[in-house]
Amino acid sequence: MTGSKVFTKKDYLITTLRAYFLQNGFNYSNYQGLGYSLVMYPAFKKLYGNDKAKLAKSLEENTEFYNTNPNFLPFITSIHMAMADGGADYQEARGIKMALMGPLAGIGDSLSQFCIAPLFSSIFASLAMSGVTLAPIFFLLAENITLLAIKLGVGAYGHKLGTSMIDKLSSQMAVISDTAAMIGITVIAGLAATFVKMKVGITYTVTAKGATGKSVIDIQQMLDKIAPALLPVLYTLLMYYLIKKRHWTTYKLVILTVIVGIVLSALKILTTA
Amino acid sequence: MHISLIQAILIGLWTAFCYAGMLWGIYTNRALVLSFGVGVILGDIPTALACGAVAELAFMGFGVGAGGTVPPNPIGPGIIGTLLAITSAGKITAASALALSIPFAVAIQFLQTFVYTLCAGFPESAKKALKAQNFTKYRLISNATVCLFAIVGFFLGFLGAYSMSTLQTLVKMIPQWLLTGLSVAGGMLPAIGFAMIMSVMLKKEFIPFALLGYALAAYFTTPVIGIAIFGTIVALLVFFFSGKKDANATTSSANTSTEESRDDWI
Repeated sequence: MTGSKVFTKKDYLITTLRAYFLQNGFNYSNYQGLGYSLVMYPAFKKLYGNDKAKLAKSLEENTEFYNTNPNFLPFITSIHMAMADGGADYQEARGIKMALMGPLAGIGDSLSQFCIAPLFSSIFASLAMSGVTLAPIFFLLAENITLLAIKLGVGAYGHKLGTSMIDKLSSQMAVISDTAAMIGITVIAGLAATFVKMKVGITYTVTAKGATGKSVIDIQQMLDKIAPALLPVLYTLLMYYLIKKRHWTTYKLVILTVIVGIVLSALKILTTA
Repeated sequence: MHISLIQAILIGLWTAFCYAGMLWGIYTNRALVLSFGVGVILGDIPTALACGAVAELAFMGFGVGAGGTVPPNPIGPGIIGTLLAITSAGKITAASALALSIPFAVAIQFLQTFVYTLCAGFPESAKKALKAQNFTKYRLISNATVCLFAIVGFFLGFLGAYSMSTLQTLVKMIPQWLLTGLSVAGGMLPAIGFAMIMSVMLKKEFIPFALLGYALAAYFTTPVIGIAIFGTIVALLVFFFSGKKDANATTSSANTSTEESRDDWI
């Protein structure tokens, strides 16, 4: 590349951090479109200087529909900045901007929403349950430090290595998210066995023939001997089946659970744990 | 327990910040975080932690909304549910507070969809402002959704806290058997959250990990960090040795393949 570059490392960093503003203008007509142009605002302002007409035109072009994962946005904006700095017009940059939107939304959502968030949320919620007062603060710290690291990392990547990196990035991400998924599944299965509470309240006394004493039969104790946390796990599996195979919505599941809970409690089959 | 006007305003501000934080992606709009703030403001952190934790687990899967879809909102249990539990002075358990707050979570979900739809006219106004080269107005409009979120959040928190005595009177009319039933149901609700998240993450190859987690928790009562460590150990073993199979097919030496996979990891 020739010519002096307008953008410094600091400009890339500022735009990277502005990824937090991506959804400040979220709406149901262009989703993150307004946000995207807002994120790029200082960069465009620096690039086009006093040419107000050009600045207005660039911002307007960038308000078109956009929807991706905010944590991976810096990768896209860094590439966009590098291209704009090199003199590329919007149509050229747009090709890459739009091509990256889908894949990064997929990678980003699966990593941040389905791996990182559930992992931290389950760990710190269980710490809170065992009485660790600062667990919510630790949750926020862990979550935000991780996401900030991703933003800074992919932002620098986009700046340094350009467009050729996206293939390698996605294959690395697949490995990382698979490993994270394995840990996540282990933890969530453990949590389901610990924190879903179902306790059978039926006890009855039997007097064995010829025996002098009476003995109390506690169904829950019998179940625990067969397999601990059997009912919670079976109920979680039922929910899983209804979601996966019957495509039930959350509403139906919540309504079913509340009804089942109330009915079984009224029949004295289940008691509060 | 009575909530003062200042406490109600503080709860409103806290809800406003947390709700706006959802758009920034800083994970403040989670039951665990929302309820913690309520606990600090009302001076009852233990109850708040119990409510937040049980709701966090139940809502873990509800946060799963692919691109732009709106899930039920944790403000329901995080703010309203926690307020109910704290002001009832022990009569409403964390589990029944969760069950009672579900209708609020759903109502807020619809409210949020309404806000997003309301904002659908903003891009046009922003373009108009840009055509007139009015950059201040453009920036104002581009930040409008987050401002609306903060306003909506404030009113949810403030009104929730302010109307708590009315809500408590309504809750008092609920008969005891129903409250017990709601408590039992509240204990079962986390199953939905776990199942939702599993339905996204679980593949056939990952079933051993689910069994590992269950066995550690049920038979050995391992604390969750311990489960995470065991999970990490097995996941890393799988990771480092998964490349071996192909390598063994061609050569008997495994050294090269482990080194390769280590390179990939870095």
